[in-house]
Amino acid sequence: MALTLAGGVVAVYYVAIHPGTAAYDLSLVSTAVALGERIRPASGGFAFDLPTAADRVARADRFDEVYYAVRGPEGEFLAGDGDLPPPPPGTERNGDVAAYDAVRGGRKLRVVDVHVPCAGRYCTVTMAETTLKRERLARDILLSSVLPQAALAAVVLALVWFGVARGLRPLRGLSEQIRARSPRDLRPVDAAAVPDEARPLVESMNRLLGEAAEASAQQQRFLADAAHQLRTPLAGLQAHTEIALAQPVPEACRAELEQVHGATVRTARLANQLLAMARAESGARGAAGPAGVSLRQIAEEGANGWVHRALARDLDLGFELEDATVTGDAVLLGEALSNLVHNALEYTPRGGHVTVRAGPAPGGGARLEVEDDGPGIPPGERARVLERFYRAPGTAGTGSGLGLAIVREIAAAHGAALEIGEGEAGRGCRVTLRFRGVD
Amino acid sequence: MRILIVEDDGALGSGLARILQGEGYAVELTAGGEEAVRLAMGDRFDLVILDIGLPDIDGFEVLRRLRAGAQRMPVLVLTARDTVGDRVHGLDLGADDYLAKPFAMPELTARVRALVRRSQAQAGPRIVHGPLVMDTVARRAFLSNAPLELAGREWSVLEVLLARVERVVSKDSIIQAVASWGEELSPNAIEVYVSRLRAKLEPAGIRIRTVRGFGYMLEEHREAS
Repeated sequence: MALTLAGGVVAVYYVAIHPGTAAYDLSLVSTAVALGERIRPASGGFAFDLPTAADRVARADRFDEVYYAVRGPEGEFLAGDGDLPPPPPGTERNGDVAAYDAVRGGRKLRVVDVHVPCAGRYCTVTMAETTLKRERLARDILLSSVLPQAALAAVVLALVWFGVARGLRPLRGLSEQIRARSPRDLRPVDAAAVPDEARPLVESMNRLLGEAAEASAQQQRFLADAAHQLRTPLAGLQAHTEIALAQPVPEACRAELEQVHGATVRTARLANQLLAMARAESGARGAAGPAGVSLRQIAEEGANGWVHRALARDLDLGFELEDATVTGDAVLLGEALSNLVHNALEYTPRGGHVTVRAGPAPGGGARLEVEDDGPGIPPGERARVLERFYRAPGTAGTGSGLGLAIVREIAAAHGAALEIGEGEAGRGCRVTLRFRGVD
Repeated sequence: MRILIVEDDGALGSGLARILQGEGYAVELTAGGEEAVRLAMGDRFDLVILDIGLPDIDGFEVLRRLRAGAQRMPVLVLTARDTVGDRVHGLDLGADDYLAKPFAMPELTARVRALVRRSQAQAGPRIVHGPLVMDTVARRAFLSNAPLELAGREWSVLEVLLARVERVVSKDSIIQAVASWGEELSPNAIEVYVSRLRAKLEPAGIRIRTVRGFGYMLEEHREAS
């Protein structure tokens, strides 16, 4: 747009200046023609007869100095100033007239070279003037016309610039909003604050988000339904295997039955974890509204189940609980902590110790943490154990490989950091969910 | 003790029946909701184990009809759908406990025992826990048939623990249940009451377990064999 306005200003200048220049040229041409009438045939050629007074008139000009030269048909010099520069090669003639710029003695000249009739042939009258009044004209045009035009163009440019910037500001706000979202957040974008012109775009985008969210939700539902369907047959399997193991069975049979039982329990755990994963991912879409959650309460709610499991495995399970509140989903956070506790209880050998911590984190924010004095996770494995279905080589037990992947998903949904490290004195394992900003 | 099992999956139903029969209960098994309501309305059962996913009417509807029909026996809901919404719905309709499938046998039998105990306790003012008998009306307690001296606060703390046998109880919730209005009771004071109770009960084989950093749990009383 700036280019257009600039072009307009330049055009105004040239449009304004051309008639002026042409008028001055015409005046020169008229004088040349008038002078041409003073050419008379004389002995052997032509002569130029101009009284001094007439010469003075011809040269009279308020601003500039005027020069002329008269030449005969052969180009012979007849009268006037002899050193006027001829037209440069390639100068166009407009009928009888060629107009051009030249330099003489260091000064700029405007020259017209006019063919005038003389006795059936043509002579040349060349008239030149300095360019002072033309420069004055140019300056006047600049000041009176071009400068105001340029100023107007600048003001228009500024107005448009601010107007557009202001109009686009809501879009910038919108793009910030979108950028700040979790990549899995498929909620519609708020179109209320957006300028009318951008609204169709935002509405299309929301429609697309809606379709993506629905597709994702369908996948979650299928996964959840599949996992649910598995549970009843698995319960039957587990029940009967346990009944069989409670009978007096031959040793060889018992070993087989225990294998079957172990596999059943693992499959059941996998089904549960698939469901938990589906819940965690749908939670990450922002489906349920987040609310203030007491971390202490999360730990207290799970305590009963965990304590019994710890007792069954001869493990000491203890708690360090303080009050802290974060914004989030209580069910998902409970799921995450439960996964961490189950891992600790699963992998810590009999007689070991597991501690569950909830409350403000040292160094700011809040945390949910589980520490054990089991074998721990080697530093090289710490990134990989977060992958779905990955189990570190040599891991015993009935885990599905989904536990930490689920925790990672839930941590991401809450903007929390998941840290894996060692426990006290460099032994065991400590997994921490660290939340920014305590409410 | 007669238990009604309502489960439409053949394998699971028969498994449940076998397990509970092994525990000494008399068991009847049905696969349909309507049939379950008909059977249960006859005042014959002390406990119902109820699956939600039934072919004709769902378990929630069975539960609703039972409670509407003044059947107050304990109901253990068994389900593959383990959502918070379902739990709350079930409890609102009058279920007493909730067990998700699949489950381990000991878990099922422990829950059944707890429900039976609770229903027996509600049958009168007497709470029985192994050798311990508490008469809540007369405010008298007996241990192995000998009178047991309990201070006021000790009684209250013991009642709270007995109400949640085999379940962990936080010190905070004991304080809330025991302290009078406006009274400040410290966790240390609770520790003192529990240690006094232990001194009195442990000789009779009643164990109160400490859960580090959390609270206590009164263990189920197992008859010494």
